[in-house]
Amino acid sequence: MRYDPPFHRTNGLIPALIALAGLIVLPFVFEASYIRHLLILAFVFGIVAASWDLSLGFGGLFNFAHVALFAVGIYTYAILAKTLGVNPWLAVLAAGPVSVLVATLIALPVLRLDGIYVILVTIAFSQLVYQIIISQSGVTGGTSGMVTLPPLRIGDYRLTSDGRMGYYYVALALLVAACAFLHLLIRSRLGRAIIAMRDAKYLGIARGVPEARTRALTLAASGLFTGLAGGFYASYVRVASPDIFGLGSLTLVLSILLVGGLGTIWGPVMAAFVIILLSEAMSDLGPWRDILIAMLIIAVMVFYPGGLWGVVQEVREAVATTLAGLRARWRRQTGRAAREARMGAPEQMILTRHGRVAVSETGGKGPAILAIHGNSACKEAFCRQFAALRETHRLIAFDLPGHGVSDNADPEEAYNVPAYADVAEDVLAALGIETPVILGWSLGGYVGLELAARAPDRYAGLAITGTAPLNIVPDDFARGYDASSHLVLAGKQYFTSAEQHAYASSATAPLAPDSAFMHRNINRTDGRTRYYMITRLGVVDWPRQMRMLREGSVPFAVLNGADDPFLDHAYIRSLGYGRIWTGAPHDIAQGQHAPFFNRPEAFNLAFTTFMDWARSAARPDVRASA
Amino acid sequence: MMSMDTFMAVATGGLVLGAIYALMAAGLAAVWTTLGIFNFAHGAFIALGAYLGWQIAATQGAGLGLVAGTLGAVLVMFAFGILVHMALVRPFERRADIVTASVITTLAGAAIIESAINLIWGPRSRQMPQLVRGEVDLGLLRIPQSDLVLIVVVACVLAALGWFLGRTRAGRAMRAVSQNRQAAELMGLDVPKLYALAFGISAALAGLAGIFVGGLRFMTPTMGTDPLMKALIVVILGGIARFTSPIYAAFLVGMVESFSNYHVGLYWTPAVLFALMIVVLFLKPSGLFSHHQRTL
Amino acid sequence: MTVPLLELRDLSGGYDPIKIFEGVDLVIEAGESIGIFGPNGHGKTTLMKTISGVLEPWSGDVIFAGERMNRASARGSRRFRNFNYDAVTRRRMDPKRVARAGLIHVAQGNLLFPEMTVAEVLSIAPLASGGRNLQGADVHALFPRLTERRGHKIRYLSGGERQMVSIAVGLLAAPRLLILDEPTLGLSPKLRAELCASIGAIRGLGVPMIVIDQDVGFLTALIDRLYLFDHGRIARVLPKADIPDHDTLMTMLFGEALT
Repeated sequence: MRYDPPFHRTNGLIPALIALAGLIVLPFVFEASYIRHLLILAFVFGIVAASWDLSLGFGGLFNFAHVALFAVGIYTYAILAKTLGVNPWLAVLAAGPVSVLVATLIALPVLRLDGIYVILVTIAFSQLVYQIIISQSGVTGGTSGMVTLPPLRIGDYRLTSDGRMGYYYVALALLVAACAFLHLLIRSRLGRAIIAMRDAKYLGIARGVPEARTRALTLAASGLFTGLAGGFYASYVRVASPDIFGLGSLTLVLSILLVGGLGTIWGPVMAAFVIILLSEAMSDLGPWRDILIAMLIIAVMVFYPGGLWGVVQEVREAVATTLAGLRARWRRQTGRAAREARMGAPEQMILTRHGRVAVSETGGKGPAILAIHGNSACKEAFCRQFAALRETHRLIAFDLPGHGVSDNADPEEAYNVPAYADVAEDVLAALGIETPVILGWSLGGYVGLELAARAPDRYAGLAITGTAPLNIVPDDFARGYDASSHLVLAGKQYFTSAEQHAYASSATAPLAPDSAFMHRNINRTDGRTRYYMITRLGVVDWPRQMRMLREGSVPFAVLNGADDPFLDHAYIRSLGYGRIWTGAPHDIAQGQHAPFFNRPEAFNLAFTTFMDWARSAARPDVRASA
Repeated sequence: MMSMDTFMAVATGGLVLGAIYALMAAGLAAVWTTLGIFNFAHGAFIALGAYLGWQIAATQGAGLGLVAGTLGAVLVMFAFGILVHMALVRPFERRADIVTASVITTLAGAAIIESAINLIWGPRSRQMPQLVRGEVDLGLLRIPQSDLVLIVVVACVLAALGWFLGRTRAGRAMRAVSQNRQAAELMGLDVPKLYALAFGISAALAGLAGIFVGGLRFMTPTMGTDPLMKALIVVILGGIARFTSPIYAAFLVGMVESFSNYHVGLYWTPAVLFALMIVVLFLKPSGLFSHHQRTL
Repeated sequence: MTVPLLELRDLSGGYDPIKIFEGVDLVIEAGESIGIFGPNGHGKTTLMKTISGVLEPWSGDVIFAGERMNRASARGSRRFRNFNYDAVTRRRMDPKRVARAGLIHVAQGNLLFPEMTVAEVLSIAPLASGGRNLQGADVHALFPRLTERRGHKIRYLSGGERQMVSIAVGLLAAPRLLILDEPTLGLSPKLRAELCASIGAIRGLGVPMIVIDQDVGFLTALIDRLYLFDHGRIARVLPKADIPDHDTLMTMLFGEALT
């Protein structure tokens, strides 16, 4: 099946377009042609570094000959445009394919090698190209290089005129094309293969990713815009010199790549501006400039390998988290009356091991029900249970940390299933509730399983809805769930507003007056809860949950929507349950992923019947006869 | 057909080159085998060693003579190597991407050292004072005395290194760490200290090589780049499974270079060597003298 | 009151981000030996690696002979995801320090140093002894086979012989507590018997041990207490007298379903 998340496309587009618009109008704001010169250099080296990122950052292949590919572009232009008299535009265009060809040649010995050997053989290749260039002085000018190369022109208009205006826009166009190319490539099937070979090589090979072809294509693709940039650069500086093979240009491009951040494409593009400007500002310092740039590289590698792009991500996360926290605070104060009316129960804040959480509790003497909501939802998801069951039961629901109107919490510690179970235990303890029935929805279902697995005797029953019990993680994920695009959103840190509605629609119900609050609530969720939930799956003792189910130590029910878009019902039916209500998972027609919300009458009937059964099943005499 | 005299002269040239490459390759391999990383600052170590030796030995410097210069350079480089290990490699000790990270930091280190030499001693080339002049007559051939000294010193140093690695506890511990880091840790070996020792020895060997390179050619801040590339070829050709493999390969490369210079010409020789290296890597990635299958 | 030889307090650890074992409390008094029994893949080896400092503990303390082996700092929150905290924080536990204090871990399936000879490996082993001396620990008497093989490289030895070298290396470090992690795994019956006899002889020298093995009979002969390990936790502790046979133990761990 083709795995094709449709929602990932809009996040960066608007900032990118704003940046592009800024760069388009920039020459009219700053008239000095020197600024344009620096920006042209930044564009060119940005392209070279971002292309290198494809093989080094995404492919994990340390191609040391990357700068040589740039040099190949330069010399291709020089020889074609000057010696052979080819039209300069065609010469620039030809530089790309020539570099691709050379990159493919480099790929040949690299196909079978790994790790440090890739580095060594590409260094050797780079030196080979260098030696060939300086030994063929008749063609390449040897060590002194080639000068007065023909510049680019359109008709009679020289691109250097008007303070290099023409070159500026051609370079910008090249940068945009390179970014688009790399961005689309990374998102393509080939891009995913490239990343797969970096992260899990043998798994990738076992799943049929062709290793040699992927490597060859990675290197070839990284050569295309590098060569074009080389050709363009030669037409701009009008010199082709073997100095480009030196340590200086290598450290320049490498510093752009590293300061930007490996494996990001956009990081190097941003860093190109910083490094070129920095390098230019320090041009009076002589050797000190190289020392400072080298120290910058070391500092970034040692302390902050994420680079500039990592800073952008952390700032973005800090802003998003703060916003979500402020929303939670604002809503805690302003929306309280509406929430209490919806739930028909007072709201209180309870301090737990993982921060303060908001709790709704109806009180009363009836059997207790603890309802735990799902990913990016809130306790009000259970408003229809509160409304229907409050006369006969004592209902408790709380907002998980980072959700609803609870506080944000330490993501490392609090945003995972065992921590959520800690919170639930603390809430129960604070309210003095013993042996409740747990109703867990989706992520909350796992919290319920975790609670019951920890202390089966402390719960009168457990009902899960929209949750597939897992044994081996992550393998069982693929079996328990259908890999739909909406499921991908469950682990995505930042939602656009389209994604927010898409996720609420598929997880709860499409936007309608009575479900609007669930849609609204999502933008309060701390996005880190989704990220950490997915990355901290390993901290859960999944087999213990499965064992608890198999042994039937807690009366158990599965109440799924028959048309749940995420779950694989056959998988859930195939598991062994020691003590399950009706002997098998119970489906609720047209319940979708949130049957308790979409079909409350049917759900509540099933749930209360289960509770009755659980109470009788808990009696030892009934248990023995069963 | 070349005459016997020419042949002997070319062969001696090959031997001298081979000796220098062996010194460099042994230094590179000392770090590579123990830490599993490739030190790109090794070429810069050579240049730094040469300049330090010059500073101590030359009359424009301290004027203490070449023997003092050599000893001083080797000692300072040993300490410098330990420093470089602490600054550029140790921060990544617990990280999975230590190979890539240290390639980048040692490269940056090389840039820093070369620029620093440029700052301290200036870009103008210098010449290392000679210890001995004239030629010796060994019956069959006459070779420059300095070449003879070089070959003898290198042979002694390599033998001493072999003795250290094979016979002393510290040397054996170093080999142990290189073969199985975790087992060495469990045995209570001080792994970080042994890593630092490997770096120090490597830098000391580079310093000695720098003195010799400085004696053969003019000294410039970038004088280490070319020998580093040659040593790289040597290490790849030889493989690093054993300490001795790169040494054989060093003499092989020295000979090939010497004869290729004579027959093919100065310009084409490097290209020939790099092409040779690529072909070898393509056919036998673990090196010519390696006994091991390439592991997955 | 005497100081316990080894004390683990609420120790947890694993391979980030996966916690393998947690909440392990264990005390070994001076002169005692213990065994650990449990199914494969439930964290026994990970626990041993954490005790010896190869892995860093996530929380809890390892106290050996009254001395805390780990640094006090808890596994702190790493606020900046892209920051390399390894560059500014020190290892929480130093395997060298643990080994030199006398807690010697003979790792499971230890391949040692394939390119070194037996004699060379044995010559560097006392580096960890910290000046201590173990009376009567003559490795050549304990493992006569190694005397025959002293000139051979480790890579040419059989699995059992390698295991013998590993244990001999541990002994030469004058251990105050010896951890043997599945020493007889995958050996031929003959070598196994030979090795078991040697291990028994080492126990006879009064060397306290933590032994992990699947052979209950072999374990019972060596130890004072058996810990049953299950899903990263100590499930039960059985004094020597109460250790049942293998099948009963399996039933204790897995219930009726598996037998």
